[in-house]
Amino acid sequence: MRNYENLVIVKPTLTAEEIQASVKAIEDIITSNGGEIAVTDAMGMRKLAYPIDKNERGYFHVIYYTVAPSAITEIERRFRINEDLLRFVTIKYDTNREVIAFNKLVQKAQKKSETPAKEEVKTEAPAAQAEAPVAEAAAEEAVAPAAE
Amino acid sequence: MAERRKYKKRFCKYCEAKVDFMDYKDVGALRFSLSERYKIMPRRLTGNCKRHQDMISTVIKRARAAALVPYTVTRKAVVTAPFENLR
Repeated sequence: MRNYENLVIVKPTLTAEEIQASVKAIEDIITSNGGEIAVTDAMGMRKLAYPIDKNERGYFHVIYYTVAPSAITEIERRFRINEDLLRFVTIKYDTNREVIAFNKLVQKAQKKSETPAKEEVKTEAPAAQAEAPVAEAAAEEAVAPAAE
Repeated sequence: MAERRKYKKRFCKYCEAKVDFMDYKDVGALRFSLSERYKIMPRRLTGNCKRHQDMISTVIKRARAAALVPYTVTRKAVVTAPFENLR
């Protein structure tokens, strides 16, 4: 068993529920291949540094897990088939130094997920503002093909 | 001037901070080793040691693949403040 980290970027055109569903599907792919998810970290919707498939934004989600190295090819194959994903990055934590860093990252992510109450209060107002235009953009894009 | 150069000592910022591992998601920390056009800065300009330069270059390349840092900034595709959402 080896430690891995996967960063996945989900399409921004999906609705919030669809994003959650596809994130769950991604986690299911890992668990069904014998992986044990240590912790997940939702980085949320953010701007991409460069457009991917004409998308300017993306929903970032990070998954830390342990799995047998042979299962990675299958996981990556399944990710490639998935059309909801813009991009995925798999990182291996193999050496002692990297494993220590992995444990630190997992702890950091756990703390972040354990104390959402504080963060929510702080980020509620800007988050609500940030989400509104996204939803509008998604709605517009959804309407556009129908109008054509 | 020659005297001054004599006393100027190059040092590795990461050695001083005792960095053992860099996380590619922590984009603010990569800023130091990136140029204005998001090229990886050479060792002779930053003063990084070989070990940390190797680390930072792999980390920057990972961040580029993850669309956290742009590959290039050209006149046609200008990235307006790509670090804006980093807080």
